[in-house]
Amino acid sequence: MTANHTHALEIRNLRFRYPGAQQDTVDIPQLTVSRGERILLTGASGRGKSTLLQLIAGLMDPDSGTILVDGQDVHALRGAKRDLFRGSKIGMVFQTLNLLQGFTAAENVMAALLFSDAPKREHRSRADELLETLGIDRPDSEVTELSIGQQQRVAVARAAATRPAVILADEPTASLDPDAADEAMNLVQHACDSVGAALVCTSHDPTMAERFERRESLDALASGAIRLGA
Amino acid sequence: MALSDTTIIRRSMSSRMFSTVTTVLTVAVAVALMLTLLSMRDSGRRAFERGTGNMHLLISGDASPLVSVLNGIFYADPPARPIDEAKFNELRNAFPASFLIPTQQGDSYLGLPVLATAPEFFTRFSPDPTFNPDDPGTAGEPWSFADGRAFEKPFEVVFGARAADETGIRIDDVINLTHGTDLSRKAANRAGAFEPHVHDEYEYRVVGILEPTGSAHDRAVFSDLTSSWIIHAHDRRVLEDSSVSITTEADLLPQDRLITGIYGRVATRPGSSVSALIPAILSQLRSDPTITVAQPKEEIDSLFGIVSNIDQILIAMAAAVLVSSGIAIMLALYNSMEQRRRQVAVLRVLGCSQGRIFGLVITESAFIGLFGAIAGLAGAFVGATAVAGALKARVGLVVDPVFDPRTTLLVLLGTVLVAATAGLIPALIAYRTPVAKNLRPIG
Repeated sequence: MTANHTHALEIRNLRFRYPGAQQDTVDIPQLTVSRGERILLTGASGRGKSTLLQLIAGLMDPDSGTILVDGQDVHALRGAKRDLFRGSKIGMVFQTLNLLQGFTAAENVMAALLFSDAPKREHRSRADELLETLGIDRPDSEVTELSIGQQQRVAVARAAATRPAVILADEPTASLDPDAADEAMNLVQHACDSVGAALVCTSHDPTMAERFERRESLDALASGAIRLGA
Repeated sequence: MALSDTTIIRRSMSSRMFSTVTTVLTVAVAVALMLTLLSMRDSGRRAFERGTGNMHLLISGDASPLVSVLNGIFYADPPARPIDEAKFNELRNAFPASFLIPTQQGDSYLGLPVLATAPEFFTRFSPDPTFNPDDPGTAGEPWSFADGRAFEKPFEVVFGARAADETGIRIDDVINLTHGTDLSRKAANRAGAFEPHVHDEYEYRVVGILEPTGSAHDRAVFSDLTSSWIIHAHDRRVLEDSSVSITTEADLLPQDRLITGIYGRVATRPGSSVSALIPAILSQLRSDPTITVAQPKEEIDSLFGIVSNIDQILIAMAAAVLVSSGIAIMLALYNSMEQRRRQVAVLRVLGCSQGRIFGLVITESAFIGLFGAIAGLAGAFVGATAVAGALKARVGLVVDPVFDPRTTLLVLLGTVLVAATAGLIPALIAYRTPVAKNLRPIG
């Protein structure tokens, strides 16, 4: 089960092809991400960046290969066990935030804790603490009452709430202007640092590259793990 | 406070408040309808059975035994064909009776029926079917007075519990009776023949107020039979001679001594409320074409036998309404699922299992059923009280709505079960919601 405990994420011989597709959407022979490491996955639209993140999160099953998160083979877990593992070990940030409408900022963060193995008595305090760290002073306001920037912070707090091993950020700045994108990435990276999580970020935005010491192109990964930068 | 599954369900329901409230109301109407029907069926039957009390026979001049029972015991309408005192005396010697109590109806007080009767009405007859006047103290309860006593002489009256409540009457108050009842007045008005007539030349003194019995007698006023004969004889005499100013018992003629019903009980052994002689006595009495002999309990049973089919149809209709409210729940949740796919997908990403998603939707559906059931129970109390009021006003039948705890619990649990079942399809849709597809940016 465990290959190397220093790795937050380890991928081996991963292949996935959508039914009817002519070629593999995801083809990664080897990829490892250490604890606390930040990695940017680049690729053109439709190259399978989001699909890869969903495979890592266990929301989809690969055709072949192995994905280890914090030493656990995600796809060896079935049903509710995989869901609990995802809730506890993997945080996700989306381009569209995907906050729970009608819920408060604190409740959105606590929603992540509800499905994790975090003790219930800590849920509220942990949510308040995270939101405060990220500059949200109205944790009991409904998310629709918050500005877009504040909503972004709530989404980041939610992803980091369970102190996951890895945070997956799927095009987190795609719909933001450069200043907002910069602030959003600061938040994500700050959250990862504060909980010691590795960050796997996808983007087709070239300006994102300079924020990451490690950058991987999905095309390069498919052809044999050519490392960009660093 | 930490977030819980209940909070998620509550938020889901409040986010589409209008749909939730209308669905809950639909369920509530169905539950109220069903509980009201069940309650009124049981309470009605109990009220009828209580009303017959410990009598075995009711003898009258009415057209049929059922009409005789409805008129003579439940004050549905004043009996139209009286029998005379001579016939009553003849019947007294016809069989071994525990009691044979003459009654007369036809007058009223503020719309309440007046039953003129003999003092034995309070000592021998009882609304409690188990009371045996020949073996008192062993079973059942005789009449009980909340205040005062039974009448002992002419022109004294006793009020039933509700009659006293409704009129605010007190001991030693003095009243005048009115000739005719509300029902007889309406019938006479339709025929254009009614003239209001208060027996204002004779005053009655209130001497007793009864404890509630849950029978139709609670809404009645009880007067002495002789005084009733006197006031009607006075009417007759004034018509014959306008100079007549007073009538006494000495002025009564045989045609004044009219009886509209006789409460009868056959003598029974101690500890028993039935007699093997009843069939033979019935057969003997029924050979007399001038009287109608009814066995009140049997008449009530046959009445409920007639209405039970309608009763079952009504309950089936209420059940159909309940099922249709289940369909309403399903449609409400089904339609909401379209808007909630993204929320379901987000919950799944956060670690919520498919089974838990399924459970959340089923629980939400069951909650709608539960709220509807509780609202329906409250509605049923209101509905049953309204129906009881209508029964009292229209036919004088006193029905105390009672909700059998077991039946009520079954209906409430059944409602929650129907609601939970209605949530199955929406829950299955939620269970199968494709996560990746529903996380994509809109557009």
